[in-house]
Amino acid sequence: MPELPADAREFVDDLVGDRAAEWDLAGLIPDDVLRSLATRGLLCAEVPQASGGLGVSSAANGEFTAYVGSRCSSLRSVMTSQGMAAWTIQRLGNPQQHAEYLPKLAGGQLAAVAFSEPAAGSDLSAMTTTIEPDGDAVVVRGQKVWTTAAHYADMIVVVGRYGSGAAAVVVPASAPGVTVTRVPRPSGCRAAGHADVRLDDVRLPASAVLGGGQPLMLLVTTALAYGRLSVAWGCVGILRACLDAARHHARARQQFGRPLAQHQLVGRHLANLLTGEQIATRMCEHASRCWDSGSPDMVVASVLAKQVSAVQAAQGAAAAVQVLGSAAAHEGHAVERAYRDAKLMELIEGSTEICQLILSDHAVSMTAR
Amino acid sequence: MSQDLATTAEGIEQAVTAFVSKRVGADVPADQDLFESGLVSSLFAMELVVHLEQAFSVQILGDDLKRDNFRSVQAMTALVLRLNGAEQPADA
Repeated sequence: MPELPADAREFVDDLVGDRAAEWDLAGLIPDDVLRSLATRGLLCAEVPQASGGLGVSSAANGEFTAYVGSRCSSLRSVMTSQGMAAWTIQRLGNPQQHAEYLPKLAGGQLAAVAFSEPAAGSDLSAMTTTIEPDGDAVVVRGQKVWTTAAHYADMIVVVGRYGSGAAAVVVPASAPGVTVTRVPRPSGCRAAGHADVRLDDVRLPASAVLGGGQPLMLLVTTALAYGRLSVAWGCVGILRACLDAARHHARARQQFGRPLAQHQLVGRHLANLLTGEQIATRMCEHASRCWDSGSPDMVVASVLAKQVSAVQAAQGAAAAVQVLGSAAAHEGHAVERAYRDAKLMELIEGSTEICQLILSDHAVSMTAR
Repeated sequence: MSQDLATTAEGIEQAVTAFVSKRVGADVPADQDLFESGLVSSLFAMELVVHLEQAFSVQILGDDLKRDNFRSVQAMTALVLRLNGAEQPADA
């Protein structure tokens, strides 16, 4: 499989520099930052080369996702949305649709995927957005909320009801009837461009419909599978950033006549952070191996990776806040951001509780091993 | 999975039956409706998609993802046979 460009990490370092705090406070990532990553195909690096992408493995893209996540969770979150849009098009689209959309996503355009609605959050089966055929066209009506990256997106992949089943439809953000309204001051991943999306009789060619007639929950599970693993790798990045900040602080800061690291109660926090980072990494590596080998276990492994990594990230970030004390207790500090961002990761792409329900169903149905 | 198994209806049906039966921990007749019997969750449905793609070197995209194609071992066998016979992945 192709490798990521050798300078991909350096490129991210140059773009992000020390500006993540500034973006967090402003609630915005500059457009040129997103565009230059998108133009290089780095926001959805798993798009196959045949479709104009970099075609890297899930394992390689996962490590890269963690790297971006360790610098800026808002940027990583935009990356998750872009990758999930590409994956949904790849999975549900036909070859003509692959040729139409994937090169754009790998070549500079930005995308979001809209699932949640005012009355359909954890219970996505309650969604009411409709995609209705009308001659050679379709009409999309509904209200989506908390759509990550929608503020930046050129195209929004909207999931809705279609006939007796469901479909996704690629909606240009500029189409008449589309209104994108930013979520004011989100608590985490503040610069990820979360927005509500109103769709008032949006008329599109029927060729914009991906799939059509699949059971809604199969479609949702399919689209979310990528998002879950991407979020999980992002949480690995949060843990790495927190571990790094905590161990440096614990070595440098002296209290009671010795470095913090030599106080056992602080040492335990460091041990737990290292443990959490390693557990999350191993879960993500396993899930990515399942993706790269085409194993059916990829579905459950992605839920597991998301569940474990988000919980570990939330705990790890809280521990890092504790170790750094007042040094991190101001808005925008890497560890303070991590604390807010990690908690949000326990809510999205299936809350911790929804992931637990999925895993408990799996535990009940799986055979003895 | 040998090529023989992957190209005859009988071979495909046997292989799919083995996978489904192992996964649900019970013998599953080829004509049993997996959704009505409650054996298949959304998660398992996607596992089936990925398994068929991997085991039989086919791509299941777009309209082929509809539920009817995964309703029973027989339906999945027919889907794999059709996709194997096609030069290109089925158009949606």
